[in-house]
Amino acid sequence: MTASGLPYRAGPLVWAANIGATCVVLFLFQKILWLVVPFILALIIYYVLMPLKLQLLLRGVSHDRAAAWVSLLAFGVFLAGAVLAFPAFFGEAIAWQDSAMRYLGGGIRLLAGAMSDLEQRFGFIAQSSAREMLELQLGGFFEHFAEKYLPGLAMGIVAWSPSLMLAPFLAFFMLRDGWRFRRFLLRAVPNAYFERSLYVMDEVDRTARQYFVGLLQLTLLDTVCLAAGLWAIGISGALTLGLVTAVLAWVPYIGSIIGCLLVVLVAATDFPGQPGVAYAAIALFLFVRLLDDFVFMPLTVGKSLKMHPLLTVLMIFVGGAVAGVPGLMLVLPVLGVIMVIGETLGLLLTDPRLRARHAHEQALRQQLVTRDLPLPPC
Amino acid sequence: MKWLGRKHELAGDGHQLASTELFRDLGARELRIVDAFVQERSFLAGEVIFDEGEEGQALYVVASGKVAICLPGRFETPLAELTPGSFFGELGLLDDSPRSAQARALEPVTLIVLSRSDFERLMESHARIASRIALQLARHIGRRLRQMVAASPIGKSLS
Repeated sequence: MTASGLPYRAGPLVWAANIGATCVVLFLFQKILWLVVPFILALIIYYVLMPLKLQLLLRGVSHDRAAAWVSLLAFGVFLAGAVLAFPAFFGEAIAWQDSAMRYLGGGIRLLAGAMSDLEQRFGFIAQSSAREMLELQLGGFFEHFAEKYLPGLAMGIVAWSPSLMLAPFLAFFMLRDGWRFRRFLLRAVPNAYFERSLYVMDEVDRTARQYFVGLLQLTLLDTVCLAAGLWAIGISGALTLGLVTAVLAWVPYIGSIIGCLLVVLVAATDFPGQPGVAYAAIALFLFVRLLDDFVFMPLTVGKSLKMHPLLTVLMIFVGGAVAGVPGLMLVLPVLGVIMVIGETLGLLLTDPRLRARHAHEQALRQQLVTRDLPLPPC
Repeated sequence: MKWLGRKHELAGDGHQLASTELFRDLGARELRIVDAFVQERSFLAGEVIFDEGEEGQALYVVASGKVAICLPGRFETPLAELTPGSFFGELGLLDDSPRSAQARALEPVTLIVLSRSDFERLMESHARIASRIALQLARHIGRRLRQMVAASPIGKSLS
């Protein structure tokens, strides 16, 4: 609401500034990705644990104790899960390489089968010997995969591990000191802008919470749908595959493509010589993606970001262009938060009444501190 | 200078809230809970706390000093003068309406602020606190209504 009583609407300048600021933030984030990734993980942990802390606060527990209890509980759950899962994890780890090669082989066989079908139907494909070229290239890729890519992959995991270990620490301090930081920021705001600042902080918090919680809900819904569909088709490890593809979908477009490839590889390996199953898996994957985009997304993540769908799609492309894969992942939450801040700043800067009140406050303060400075008449 | 300064915060035990009109019915444990959600804010004498027509984002309790509720341009004298323990700004949170009057500090004032989100959270999540606050709000609005009726021509003729 403005001083004139009319609701405030952001103009083209504010919109341009929002989009520009989003690009700058994404560019900077890309430069400090080692900090941004654990920070985002910490935010997800924070928003998952925050309702528990709130319940303790509402039972009369202090902020510090509530944060400590909730963090201890989360750590205990993680530890119990790790103790139960790690032996099985390491036991299977050696078999994973064989499984990976088996699934890749299944995928290549499916591809080769599809190519030979095409060659039989269309003569020009047979003449171009596309199948031989493809087999040659894929053969070369898998032959040198271990020596070319595995060291880099291992180094990447080693380099990222300490950074990812930051996430639980950050989450703990967010839970313990988040409210202090909020008050600290609010104390710095002049009285004239105080109520608007309260609104901005609540909105930023609401947007981020709804986005991250929505993302987790979306992942759960995707996992359940994909797992049910894959189980119905008869593909092995349906739940794991559903979960992995749902998590991969956090990266718009690229994640979905990789997820689809994964499903096809497993389907082609589990049912060699039956390409129909792989095509059914692709159809299922596309169906779940459509369900995701038009039903689940508006119900979960979409609620947090009141954006035009065209702008959403365009900004995903812009995010990808500015900051690559991290840009694709981060562009929507960053834009959502910047939109709230940008619109409020637009309102504050264009509201003459608020500026006048701030000037009045400063004048009163000046008067207060200088009233004994003039020399008394002799 | 606010970026450099650091003012004292509430004690954390809800002692200050116990003497206020809105929270006086709450027990020690409930006061501690409310205390976890409120913050303090200081205004100079003559400073506007909020304007008529603004969107209300908080409820205020006077901790020290005096606050005037006025309608500048329409009434020369303040509609009400609030002393320590009184509260104001609740209507905007209850019915989402814009502020119905201006609040201005008559002397240096310290206010206890409960933001809209925290007020709603308390009202939704803690039945006991919610019922006590709702009762106080109903009493407050009823008292104000009686004062208005008494000040109206009908009220004067009845008395």
